[in-house]
Amino acid sequence: MENEPAHVLLIEDNPGDADLVRLRLVESKSDVLVNCVPRLSDALACLDIETPALVLLDLNLPDSHGAETFRRIMQKAPNVPVVILSGQDDELLANKAVHLGVQDYLIKSEITSKQLERALRYAIERQGLIRSLDITRKQQLEFKNRFLSHVSHELRTPLTCIHQYVTLLLDGLAGPIAPDQMDHLKIVLKSVNQLHAMIRDLLEATRADSGKLRIEPRCIDIGELMRQSVAMMRPSATEKHVSLEVVVDPAIPLVYADPDRALEVFINLVDNAIKFTPANGSISVKGSLVETDPTSVYISVMDNGRGIPRECHPQVFERLYQDPDAVDGNRTGLGLGLFIAKEIVTLHGGRMWLASEPGTGSTFSFTLPLYSLSKLLFPIITQHGHLRKDLALVRVELTPISKELRGGWKDTCQHCLEVLRRSIFVDKDLVLPPTGSNGPIQTFFVLASVDMEKVNILMDRIRSQVGKLPQLNSSGSMQVIAERIPPAPVADPRTLEQQVWGIADYVTEVIQQDLWNNPNFTDKENPTNAH
Amino acid sequence: MRTDSYSETQPTVRAKIMVVDDDPDLRQALSLRLRANNFETVNACDGYSAIALAQKEKPNLIILDLGLPAGDGFSVLKNLQQYPALSTIPVIVLTARDPEGNEKRTLQAGAVAFFQKPADNDELMGVIRASLQAGWGWGHGLPS
Repeated sequence: MENEPAHVLLIEDNPGDADLVRLRLVESKSDVLVNCVPRLSDALACLDIETPALVLLDLNLPDSHGAETFRRIMQKAPNVPVVILSGQDDELLANKAVHLGVQDYLIKSEITSKQLERALRYAIERQGLIRSLDITRKQQLEFKNRFLSHVSHELRTPLTCIHQYVTLLLDGLAGPIAPDQMDHLKIVLKSVNQLHAMIRDLLEATRADSGKLRIEPRCIDIGELMRQSVAMMRPSATEKHVSLEVVVDPAIPLVYADPDRALEVFINLVDNAIKFTPANGSISVKGSLVETDPTSVYISVMDNGRGIPRECHPQVFERLYQDPDAVDGNRTGLGLGLFIAKEIVTLHGGRMWLASEPGTGSTFSFTLPLYSLSKLLFPIITQHGHLRKDLALVRVELTPISKELRGGWKDTCQHCLEVLRRSIFVDKDLVLPPTGSNGPIQTFFVLASVDMEKVNILMDRIRSQVGKLPQLNSSGSMQVIAERIPPAPVADPRTLEQQVWGIADYVTEVIQQDLWNNPNFTDKENPTNAH
Repeated sequence: MRTDSYSETQPTVRAKIMVVDDDPDLRQALSLRLRANNFETVNACDGYSAIALAQKEKPNLIILDLGLPAGDGFSVLKNLQQYPALSTIPVIVLTARDPEGNEKRTLQAGAVAFFQKPADNDELMGVIRASLQAGWGWGHGLPS
């Protein structure tokens, strides 16, 4: 303000008030250039062209009133300080505006030249301070995340080296080792694995912090995923003599979630439960539907361990939370697991919460969104207010040559899906969202509104367009089959919506059966689908 | 650069694997494990010698680090593609770097698989065998 005149944008529709402000500024000998506009639209246009040092704003303009006025200005020019010119009658609103980020307000009838000059100067300085604080904060966050990411990567190299040599020794590749030595090496390996998990958590938490945690949701059978995670955790539960059961309501339809991420959440919660449950305790993983919330699946992991004191509940999901009473050599880890789990659930649009009483155990619960197949099916399977008569479900299965060769397989499947989407009639057929757990076999379903004769034509088209992709031929094979969807009885008393739900249920069941028949994991204690 | 010798008395032709990593300890550990699994190994410590050695040794498979001196893993992948004789060698990327952002890029550049360090040994050996059996190796599919 000392060298160059400061540009002030005065937004005031009353010429008398505008002149008054100019007069006061002249009196105060402020070195300012005032540009006065009468309407909000003019002001917004001015802000497009030039960023003033300050905006002086009357709240009630011909084209905008009250809070809306300063909201629009601040949205347009978030870094420009705003001082409100208010009448005595809207002082309350002006006060609220200061709360929401406006720098100051002056009551028109009370403005003195000194007060005006000082208000403008301070507003500009304060805004500058806020801005530099904001920039510093962002830089620090960015630096912290870069630092953590860098450190975690650098830690990996020596860790890999330790891992390699310990496993060399353990596998007897460097000569025979004595049983005692074997035990010692196993402890080294266990610690290496713990360290590895910590580094992974650190990176995940950093990603969550910087908004880089990504999910790829698809239609999944949540029960299958729950059984998978329980199968993976069974050995450590058995080792601790803790029983582990899984109960899934068979009525749960498809869930829309990232299978890898959802598995991560399950494993995290079950692992925690095992850690804090004493020998002979029990853990139960449950999946159920709740009548009051028809759009979510409710999942809980319940243990009868020592529980979490009520005063700790708010912090449990925070970063770096560790059980203050952890004893008996429980290595608690970094305290990032629950934070990451909650972030993953939140990214899916779900919630995660805790219910726990000391001495009786803890229950961690979360929700994931259900997939609404009927909404998707409605426009395809109905015509002129009736359910289409002939409906078929085509199943396209892609199998990689070798289940180890995962490189590029995901991309190949994605490419196949795109070609599949182009080889159908958009108004009569529908490629359902990709389904699957985290196995290598990828299945796509196409709902076609054709009879079984015409479905052959569609299948041939799929075989020729998708099946001949060079990418697919070099890395896998394709199988296409179709089945007729049983038609509704001629005199169906149900409404059209109910009929569509019926078809959606049928399709859901077929998909779930399909997911069960392609198990990637079998749990020794729950070899079939425990319902 | 070649650290171990190929034994002429071996009854079957062994697959030759080139390990490219700038960390000598890790190179040694990997080579030890590969040789214990009946593979022949050759080692390179940077991007430049990786290409030179690949031309000379014609390995059946390459295990490639990404962070390398004298041409990083991506430039190695790119260079391999430029020689018809080398472009068919399956490359498995084994790196400390994040899969996010790197996995897709390496696969698009021609790698057959991406592993983040520390990798599970059994999984890595499985992918090595599968890649060799897929017949993408040098001239012939090899016994493992």
